[in-house]
Amino acid sequence: MKRISTYMKNFDMQYHLRLREWRLNEIQNKIASQTRIKELRNDPVSAAHATRYSSRITRMERFSENVATLKSRQQIAEGYMQEALDILQRAREIAVKGATGTFTKQEKQYMGEEVNQLLNELVEIANASSGEGTTLFAGSRNLSKPFRVSLGNVPGGTGEVIVSVEYTGNIQESLAEISEGSYIKSTFAGNRVFWAEHQVLLATRDATNYQVSTDSAIYIDGHRVELKTGDNIHAIIAKINDSNAPVKAKLDPVTNALMIETTTPHQLWLEDGEGCRVLRDLGLLSDDGALPPHNISDEARISGGSAFDMLISLRGSLYRGDTIQIGGSALKGIDNALNNLLNTITDLGSKHERLELVGERLAYEIPEMVAKKSREVDLDITRAITELKMLESAHRAALQTAGRILQPTLLDFLR
Amino acid sequence: MQSSFAGIEIGKRSLIAHTQGLHTVGHNLSNIDTEGYSRQRVEMNATDPLYLPQLNREETPGQIGQGVDIVRIERIRDMILDGRIVKQANGQGYWEARDKYILLTEQVYNEPSDLSVRAMMDRFWESWQELSLHPQEIGARKAVIQRGETLMDSIHQRYYSLKEIREMLEQDISATVKEINDIASQISKLNGKIVKVKAMGDNPNDLMDRRDLLVQRLSRLIDISTDTRDPDEFTVHTGGRILVQGRVYHPLALEPEPENEGYSEVVWLERGVQAFFRGGKLAALVELRDVDVRAEIQKLDMMTINFIDLVNSIHREAYGLNGKTGQDFFIEYPFVDNITGNYDRNGDGVFDSTYVFRITGINSLNPKQQIGLRGTLTVAGEQNTIEIEYYPTDTVEDLVKKINTSGSEVVAYLDRNNRLALKATPATERGNPDFVIRYIEDSGQFLVGYAGILQQSGPEGAYNWDQADAVLALRGGELDYSVAPLSHPSGWIEINPAMKSDVRSIAAGFGENGRPALPGDGSAALAIASLRNRQVMVGDLMSFDEYFSAVVAEIGLKGEEAQTVLETQNLIMKELEDMRQSISGVNIDEELAQMIKFQHGYSAAARFISEVTRMLDTIINRMGA
Repeated sequence: MKRISTYMKNFDMQYHLRLREWRLNEIQNKIASQTRIKELRNDPVSAAHATRYSSRITRMERFSENVATLKSRQQIAEGYMQEALDILQRAREIAVKGATGTFTKQEKQYMGEEVNQLLNELVEIANASSGEGTTLFAGSRNLSKPFRVSLGNVPGGTGEVIVSVEYTGNIQESLAEISEGSYIKSTFAGNRVFWAEHQVLLATRDATNYQVSTDSAIYIDGHRVELKTGDNIHAIIAKINDSNAPVKAKLDPVTNALMIETTTPHQLWLEDGEGCRVLRDLGLLSDDGALPPHNISDEARISGGSAFDMLISLRGSLYRGDTIQIGGSALKGIDNALNNLLNTITDLGSKHERLELVGERLAYEIPEMVAKKSREVDLDITRAITELKMLESAHRAALQTAGRILQPTLLDFLR
Repeated sequence: MQSSFAGIEIGKRSLIAHTQGLHTVGHNLSNIDTEGYSRQRVEMNATDPLYLPQLNREETPGQIGQGVDIVRIERIRDMILDGRIVKQANGQGYWEARDKYILLTEQVYNEPSDLSVRAMMDRFWESWQELSLHPQEIGARKAVIQRGETLMDSIHQRYYSLKEIREMLEQDISATVKEINDIASQISKLNGKIVKVKAMGDNPNDLMDRRDLLVQRLSRLIDISTDTRDPDEFTVHTGGRILVQGRVYHPLALEPEPENEGYSEVVWLERGVQAFFRGGKLAALVELRDVDVRAEIQKLDMMTINFIDLVNSIHREAYGLNGKTGQDFFIEYPFVDNITGNYDRNGDGVFDSTYVFRITGINSLNPKQQIGLRGTLTVAGEQNTIEIEYYPTDTVEDLVKKINTSGSEVVAYLDRNNRLALKATPATERGNPDFVIRYIEDSGQFLVGYAGILQQSGPEGAYNWDQADAVLALRGGELDYSVAPLSHPSGWIEINPAMKSDVRSIAAGFGENGRPALPGDGSAALAIASLRNRQVMVGDLMSFDEYFSAVVAEIGLKGEEAQTVLETQNLIMKELEDMRQSISGVNIDEELAQMIKFQHGYSAAARFISEVTRMLDTIINRMGA
């Protein structure tokens, strides 16, 4: 364009000034708010990434907290289990001593007293509460004490003592999330921790001709076993064995009745699903609507006791002065209880390790994620200030130039 | 022989011509700042000389010049460039409006900060995590309520902000239509004046400048084309019809459209038909209102309704500390309150449609199992139905994916108990309601016996929303469907007041084997918390994270596009304007030089007249005695 109108000079100068002022304003805002993305349009893809990182960071921080909570819970539980271990160790020592024939009946009486005290102590430990006001070993029924005692008189004992300890908690294992989609058990069931022997449940009803009448399910130790119409006893046994429940089932060769035995020491927990009568029809569970573990049928025979039962048995043998039993079945019972508790504590140890690892990993990942987010969103202050300086000097130069060329017209030179 | 006073006549003509030229220079200088002004020039021609070859000519050598005349005053303007500028203004108007409103929409999202809906959802999720660890606590439940309310507030906030933008657009559309009518009226008036002036043989330069400016302003608002073939009728066409023709103009009007939530449609006042525009500010506003911002609201609604449906499904199956179950955590007002979803769409007092949002089947399915059935599903699509084929070797998972990627307005997923659930999405056509399942048919047995949704295959057993009691086509027994919301869910969801009045009703555990949950049972809280990062959106294709991220990216990219294109448009416009200024703009120095020229011409003419006068004086006063 060879011909320039007066208006154009003015308009052009204004256009460029306005444009530069806008850029200066943008930079100033970004520096003041320390973020590269003032509006989403400044960098849409980075903004999208930043939102994901942000949410991820929140989640990981939460998982970190969960890990800490679980670790402390586990430590408290472990503490109590160690105490219980000490008690059982002491009981074992007494049993070993009592099994030698060198003590009088009176002295054995005193030892029985000590075992009684140990029993009381163990019950207290099993009913212990955490710092949150909930009991530790009750599964999900954690607002009440898991073990209930019955008192009575025993020969050789003085006054009322504990004669039986029943478990009133449940076996539901609550989960907690420690990482995206990965869970860890966060509760303990008292009837596994404080158990001594394998439980064996033997029905007395002949099951050869039994057939399942409708599609239903039974619950073994909390594991759901689906049964279909027409399944006979062998199919039922196969399904129970195939499931993940820590039990094995078989048919007793003499009575043809169903027998269920645990594969690790714990209390059997059996239940019929809704609309199902299979276990009741097989003679394992009673018909009176009781809930596990009190729903075993009177017809069936169940054996296998808890750690408390072992202590009660030892105390009884000591009171009676029955040396053979002290050194025999009573000692064996205590040993079983000890082993089970040791296994639980070891298991807890490995869970603890897992939590440690997860915690460490999160402690490393969280700052990484924060750095990633920062790279997307935060302002490079050096670059921004440099740009600001350049714009400022360009602005000044433009204003000076405009001042020079805008002024003179022919009017100034005409007479 | 010429007359004695012929000389004076020549001088007089010169004086008048040069004065006229000077006046024109003065006019140009005065209008140096006037918008749309094009500089004017006088065109001088030598007057017709004497003598013409006719019988009464004098026998003297000729032709004798008779001085100067102003033939024409014309404006210097390039019509082709003008046409180009008019088109460019159209693009500029469109992108300017779009840029402004998309920026407002971007700001609604409040990302990537800690105050967005997404951040509030994170915190809500956190409170459920806390509850899962301490399911027996009242404090943890209070935190759930608190965080839930904050989340509700932020969702409402976003909804109302978006709605407000829509209202602003509506008002802007109304104002723009008025402006268009106003300009059209002005153009028509100018047309009348210009025609009259032209009939006199004059150039109505200033009037035409004014008209050209109006046309440019109009072109920023709507896409127009001008027609100057008929010199007596300047015509402006738009949207396939005539807006201005000579002195007549056809105005536009607004009519509220009930299918568009009462927002107005632009129509031609006299004919009542809808006016369609493809460019300019008005087209941008209408598109923003009915496509872009509407889609943003729909996205928010979709997230909200899926979120509350998922949370409620889990919560209903769980037990509170007080043993209550079957309660919703979130509720919305208003839902269709008839239990079977019956609704009266045309307002005649009779139920004529069924508004159902989700249908769940009875049977529990195995996702990896091959279905072993053959058939075709027919579901409602954007405008017609869409057919989805399934084969015996497809697994259940495969078929769910097929449904979700079919482009229909139904999505599928397997719920907690592995039952097939079908959900409706927002509708693309304005006439169809959002979140309502419209049509489901299966030619085979998949939806009938296998998944347990329909009772029969084929068209007789199809679910069709266009009748009352359509739910009768669904399998009886464990009938599971949820009715659809009547208005935007994101504007109206609340936490169930029953939860707020007794926080112990907040359910954290599923219980075991049909028994109520015990205090330490946090399984349901954990399930609700796990919704946050599972693929639960759009059937089973996206997680909430992906949804939030996608939505942010989409609007950000739209904004980036608008900003860049607008800058380009502005730059092009500036270039064109500069060219026009170069041709039509006034340059002071040039005008002053012209002024000097006319001044000299004037002085010369005056001097000439004096000379002639002196000569006449000699003859009249000095000759003879």
